[in-house]
Amino acid sequence: MAETITPTNPAQLRDAILWALGDKVALEIIGHGSKRAYGHDVRADHVLDLSKLTGILFYQPEELVISAHAGTPLAEITALLAQKHQQFQFEPVDFPLLLGGGDKTGLAGDGPLGTLGGLAATNISGPRRLKSGAARDHVLGFEAVSGRGEDFKSGGRVMKNVTGFDLSKLMAGSFGTLGVMHTLTLKAMPVPEKTRTVIVPCDDVVLAVQAMSAAMGSENEVSGAAWVPTSMLAVISPDTVSLDDARTATAIIVLRVEGPEQSVDWRAAALCRLLADIGTASVVRAAPSLGMWQAIADVKPMQGQGGVLWRLSVPPASGGGVVGALRHIDDSADIMLDWAGGLVWAQFAGGDASRHVEQARKIRKIAVEAGGQAWLVRASAQLRREIPVFQPLSPQINRINRKISENFDPHGLLNPGRMAPEHEPDVLNAKQPVGV
Amino acid sequence: MLKMPEPDSSVLARRTDIIAAMRAIVPASGAVIAEEDALRPYECDGLMAYRQLPMIVVLPENTAQIAAILKYCHQNKIRVVPRGAGTGLSGGALPMADAITISMMKFNRVLDIDWDNRACVVQPGVTNLGITRAVEHRDFYYAPDPSSQIACSIGGNIAENSGGVHCLKYGLTTNNVLGLEMVTIEGDILRIGGKALDSAGYDLMGIITGSEGLLGIVTEITVRILRKPETARAMLLGFPDNQAGGDCVAKIIANGIIPGGLEMMDAPAIRATEDFVHAGYPLDVESLLLVELDGPAIEVDHLIERVGDIAHQCGAVYSRISETEEERALFWSGRKNAFPAIGRMSPDYICMDGTIPRGRLSDVLTGMQVFSQRHGLRVANVFHAGDGNLHPLIMFDANQPGELERAEAFGADILKLCVEVGGCLSGEHGIGIEKRDLMPEMFSEDDMKHQERLKLAFDEDQLLNPGKVFPVLHGCGELKTLHARSVANKFPDIPRF
Repeated sequence: MAETITPTNPAQLRDAILWALGDKVALEIIGHGSKRAYGHDVRADHVLDLSKLTGILFYQPEELVISAHAGTPLAEITALLAQKHQQFQFEPVDFPLLLGGGDKTGLAGDGPLGTLGGLAATNISGPRRLKSGAARDHVLGFEAVSGRGEDFKSGGRVMKNVTGFDLSKLMAGSFGTLGVMHTLTLKAMPVPEKTRTVIVPCDDVVLAVQAMSAAMGSENEVSGAAWVPTSMLAVISPDTVSLDDARTATAIIVLRVEGPEQSVDWRAAALCRLLADIGTASVVRAAPSLGMWQAIADVKPMQGQGGVLWRLSVPPASGGGVVGALRHIDDSADIMLDWAGGLVWAQFAGGDASRHVEQARKIRKIAVEAGGQAWLVRASAQLRREIPVFQPLSPQINRINRKISENFDPHGLLNPGRMAPEHEPDVLNAKQPVGV
Repeated sequence: MLKMPEPDSSVLARRTDIIAAMRAIVPASGAVIAEEDALRPYECDGLMAYRQLPMIVVLPENTAQIAAILKYCHQNKIRVVPRGAGTGLSGGALPMADAITISMMKFNRVLDIDWDNRACVVQPGVTNLGITRAVEHRDFYYAPDPSSQIACSIGGNIAENSGGVHCLKYGLTTNNVLGLEMVTIEGDILRIGGKALDSAGYDLMGIITGSEGLLGIVTEITVRILRKPETARAMLLGFPDNQAGGDCVAKIIANGIIPGGLEMMDAPAIRATEDFVHAGYPLDVESLLLVELDGPAIEVDHLIERVGDIAHQCGAVYSRISETEEERALFWSGRKNAFPAIGRMSPDYICMDGTIPRGRLSDVLTGMQVFSQRHGLRVANVFHAGDGNLHPLIMFDANQPGELERAEAFGADILKLCVEVGGCLSGEHGIGIEKRDLMPEMFSEDDMKHQERLKLAFDEDQLLNPGKVFPVLHGCGELKTLHARSVANKFPDIPRF
């Protein structure tokens, strides 16, 4: 009978893992469980629930650093940061809403769902990724218990630290398969004083990607660059749909600049001039801008939809070509671009499983030929058993990944199977649960 | 004395065979060095007090050769020490008597500049500044700028996760690398990351960066290049004491301002540099801040005004703003010449590299004064105040019996204090052999075992750069001493900061 173990402090967490080690039982590690539908189903005997291992340990705005237990609700943390006009610069994404679950009632502020630990373990980042890095770039240190039942830590609370291997990077994005982080220290950064969004109508995706590339290569410090079909505008920004040009176009380029007021006005104007050949630009001021970028981060137009959702990370300049190739697979796919073309969201309407499996093969080929990778973000449990959610690794890299996993969690107790489907034993972390 | 792994006599006995094998793999004339005179230049890196002739040096030219060399070394259980430009300050490239030193300096080409993706693909022997030189004609640059950037290689930057003066705003090496090609000790060629931002699997790029040559040999690097800011201006702000200077740093950041550069010097450092380069630094202040703001002129002007107001509130007694590019360079010239300036004042010095939470600066500087009296040695401080990285310069005379040991003990005291206040042993120079035996100050045995387990996933026989980063387990008393001896400056012309 599956049990749920709910430690409330690091010592209890270690005891739980020592118990699992002794009895050779596998554990599924969850926080709020809000991203449980992302990745593969875990083949575990019991659930290790970190949602009660909570609490902010310290927050020092002048040091730009915050430390909390892994189960602390993200919304609580972002609300606290906001009080001091700070934020996580990588823009946490409300992934659960995209996965088709999650309930935001009763949350502090309007912060994202999930826990701090879940955020770090999945390394999901928003539009500012292209300028400021991913979650992994902002984790300064952690404390964890490995699959050996041993406490270990790395990094610390300072932002310049080359003391030993950078295990924080290893743990960020490891989906709880190496150790269970119970304490995390992250870098916080100031909220920019002002935000401006430049909108340029541009139907042609290849042209749009070239324009975004020009904007990114200009001296205007663009911190967000997306291409969005106007059909999605009503969801992304109800305040901007009245723009005349946007209404007549089928898609728009959206560019964000952030900073002091004089600076954002100057840079927004410079971007309008830079892209004058593409179309007549308009500038959206602060308040509507913020909601718009949160909606782009959360991929709001694709929330609550039934289709199969893919996420492709490709070299930005190849984004236009990738969209063309994806349309060739299915010209009715819903597609939007973030990261100046480097992040492609593509939603394919329902159909039978065999069709999606065939599509998956083509999508992965498109991503790889462009120099990137593809993730299956939202699909039925059945499809996620058929198709690897994460891009399969090369045999050489897979081998290193497997050895790391075996060295940190030799008995495969932690989230076995999370990063690879069952029938692909050669793929990362397809470790057999023991004692089942 | 620092303990290194014992040379393997069975390897030394096979030296002639190994040389022949290397010449077969890398046939180019002069690419395999075996004569003592020619090996001499490779006997140390920037940590010059520790010297050891390598068994042989090999200078391969391409990835296939590296794969063949490493495969041979793996099969024959021969140790390998990777080497870039040899500018490292922590002894990470110190040779071993029974190891092959692999010099990467023939990997010196810029392979691809991709303006549309704002990426540059280079070989590891290209210098840090060489990347900026390759892209600056279109007003782009590579952001991390370690002090040795004229000479240090980008491969070495990957090994050490090098920093520089712009880390607070633009990040370290690890935040600016997009892709790597690396050869494992087994001769596998791994392609990791690329021009796309996210990759599946564990973040191998994140752990290879800063791994000090213990996990593999990097043979190709893709870095992010950035458009240069429209303008940059620097301010000099003088304070009557270090507390006031430190408070000003905290207030600038608490006000939401992230300067491109934020440096601090204490009175001995100010006087030494002013004597040396005449940058116009005030001599009647105890603490000097150098603040650089970059971006559009309209933003820079606005922020300079705000920083000026904050400094005034914090009791600044001196303020000067650069009006021209020449003046900005002059302001920086003092800071960038702090190391040689100290070198003029003292026959020898060692440079420490701890990081602390910025708010503890005043406590740490006070502690240093206590140590200074206890050890009877002078210290000057230059400080990357923005990111909390301290570079105390301890002055001594190696010709006076016992002074070197006192300087090392002083350095160890400082680093222990850095850890005690919540900081770390090394901000950007790496552990190497220099701070290796202090690792237990910061990490428990289990912490280090997990790091070593990562090492074993790449290099089970521990052939790559042995004796570095992790203490060679030996007498407990020896574990507490610091073995730091950057006595002389190998590249006297390089501004160090």
